[in-house]
Amino acid sequence: MTYVLAKSKNSEIHEAGECGGAVTSIFKYLLDENLVDGVLTLSPGDDIYDGVPTFIADSEDLISTAGSYHCAPTMFGDLIQKYLSDKKIAVAVKPCDMRSIDELIKRHKINPENIYTVGLNCGGTVSPITGRKMIDLFYEIDPDDVVSEEIDKGQFIVELKDGSKKGVKIHDLEQEGYGRRNNCQRCDIKIPRKANIACGNWGASEGWTFVEINDEKGEELIKGAQKAGLLETKSPSQDAIDARSKVEGIMIKLSKKTQDAIYDKVNAMEEWNRCIRCYACRDVCPICWCHENCEINKSYFDESQIPPKPIAFQGIRLSHMSFSCIDCGQCDDVCPMDIPVSLIFDKLQKKYSNRTGYIAGVSDDIKPPLYSPAKEEL
Amino acid sequence: MLEIKHTLCPSCSVGCGINVVSYNGEVVGTNSYKRHPINEGKNCLNGRNSIDMYKNKLKNAKISNSDVDFEKAIDEVSNILKSNEPEKISVICSGNNSIEEVNKIKEFADSNGYNIGFYADNFVNIAGDVASYDEVENASNIILIGDILYENPLLGRKIVHAKDNGANVYSFVENASVTANISNEVCGSLDDVLDKIEDSSLVIYNHVESSDDLDKINDITVKNNSKLLAVFSKCNSKGTANIITPSSKEEMVDLLNNSDVLLVFRDDIKSEIDFDYGKIKNIISFTPCSNSTSDVSQIVIPISSWLENDGSFVNAMGLTQEFKAVIDSDDLSEIEVIEKIQDKL
Repeated sequence: MTYVLAKSKNSEIHEAGECGGAVTSIFKYLLDENLVDGVLTLSPGDDIYDGVPTFIADSEDLISTAGSYHCAPTMFGDLIQKYLSDKKIAVAVKPCDMRSIDELIKRHKINPENIYTVGLNCGGTVSPITGRKMIDLFYEIDPDDVVSEEIDKGQFIVELKDGSKKGVKIHDLEQEGYGRRNNCQRCDIKIPRKANIACGNWGASEGWTFVEINDEKGEELIKGAQKAGLLETKSPSQDAIDARSKVEGIMIKLSKKTQDAIYDKVNAMEEWNRCIRCYACRDVCPICWCHENCEINKSYFDESQIPPKPIAFQGIRLSHMSFSCIDCGQCDDVCPMDIPVSLIFDKLQKKYSNRTGYIAGVSDDIKPPLYSPAKEEL
Repeated sequence: MLEIKHTLCPSCSVGCGINVVSYNGEVVGTNSYKRHPINEGKNCLNGRNSIDMYKNKLKNAKISNSDVDFEKAIDEVSNILKSNEPEKISVICSGNNSIEEVNKIKEFADSNGYNIGFYADNFVNIAGDVASYDEVENASNIILIGDILYENPLLGRKIVHAKDNGANVYSFVENASVTANISNEVCGSLDDVLDKIEDSSLVIYNHVESSDDLDKINDITVKNNSKLLAVFSKCNSKGTANIITPSSKEEMVDLLNNSDVLLVFRDDIKSEIDFDYGKIKNIISFTPCSNSTSDVSQIVIPISSWLENDGSFVNAMGLTQEFKAVIDSDDLSEIEVIEKIQDKL
């Protein structure tokens, strides 16, 4: 494991990036050297609360994607698998994005040779509408006046047009039902170590990105961007390494506390009573890819029954993929009936993990359960 | 290359946002638009399937079920219009049309002296104040007529929120339904559920049997200082109703009976109004993809789908929302087609 501090040598990128523009510079290096067909990242849509997945093929367009989007709970694994599996790409990934990519690689739906993964440490994401509501309620600020947001030292901090900043403790926001998405509050994977590199500001000094290099490809990325004159690096101090580790440790501890508090409270049968069989949870799930052959589409189930019988609907998905649930929360985000789908699936994954040691999208060299050559033929 | 763009869902009148995914200029999927204030990235199955309209687009104009040159079909339409008395020509407008399209259709019908008909789920003479979605979430007493949770789930979600906040929910709906599951009580008749209205209630309906029932709902709601929310089956029925007065089923049948030529704009009137369409001499459909009305039309003119147009819809609570084309189109828009026909008259 190697750590470096990095920042962009390109002044425009350095200025636009959240912590020194290292990530954007690495993407520029990959595009300029024709090592990838494009970069999958986020660009602003309606406003700063709206991060839209964007495929960039020209490095001149990268500058519009620089910066972070804590209010854009997107999922890239699914997009890559569905639309970009034949392309050579680079992608900025949160831990859950990376976990989905890892699970899809295990299922031969993404070719690891075709993808560079630039990990982003993640303390959690906020749903955009929730973000706007909480800024209005708790910050007493017009959400449209906010020009950027960040999560730092346990606070959700917003910056206004006049340069002033205001922060509120995430704990206080979450006590009132706001703050991070529910799955993010219990997520205990904060650094995407399966990515080639994992980047963030934890432990980094102002204007620098702390980079954890996770594999040879990651090493090549840093060295290549350096050699291209795009990246400046230096070694972090032991204090910086310890500070980063401490932040990660505190966050994981808080997540475990949330897990202990929430898992026993969910009543799945009561929640499923609102299910309208719209398949949104399955269709958005980055792990569920075999839609044409999906058992819950089969005619031996009564499709007219609304809500469906849990054993013949949710039960099948639970038995098929809950052990591979990466707790990305996309199913919660899209459920029209606000069923806490990811909580139910994540709870089962944790049970499975406690017995077998298999952590979805994290464990090395272990095939996901129920995974067999026959399945590959689907 | 891969592109994701925002638009509005056309599958009902709730007014949800939806992201459309295109790849190399072809629509390939949908993606959740989480920044949209109404549905926050959640879409029902109908909404996610709405892109099928693009995938199933008509490739050619048709006369008597045979593919023909587009210009020839337009010429044929203008010949039919010129050779019939205006009072025997009827234009059917639809809640599927954008505000801009409705204005153009009305202008076209009015300037040529044609009849105009617009059917909106038999919802006519809607009285009283219209409830906003925020008011639904904050309501204390909600009356539901129809399976709102299943058929309009992104409005249904707001009713669930109200229930979580302590609201009483009474419904007139089938017992085996999600709407019934979240109701405090399922009533056996319209009268029974209307008895549950108290001061400052909300009455939400997406289906009524007759104009009399609608009058009854309106009267009781207004008398009880309560608000209504009519959930139309089409995305812009509310906006269209602001421009063209909706007709009842009976009025629509009268209009059809008096028509020798029927021009149907972006609608499938045959699926909604029971009538012997064989009695009408000429039916001309303007539609992006085939439907049961185009199947019985002598002439079918392809028009671009909502994915290829800019425009605006008014949702069930009266909010006007604009949308932009998410993909380029080779087809003429409905407005361009109308202008083309008008030029030939």
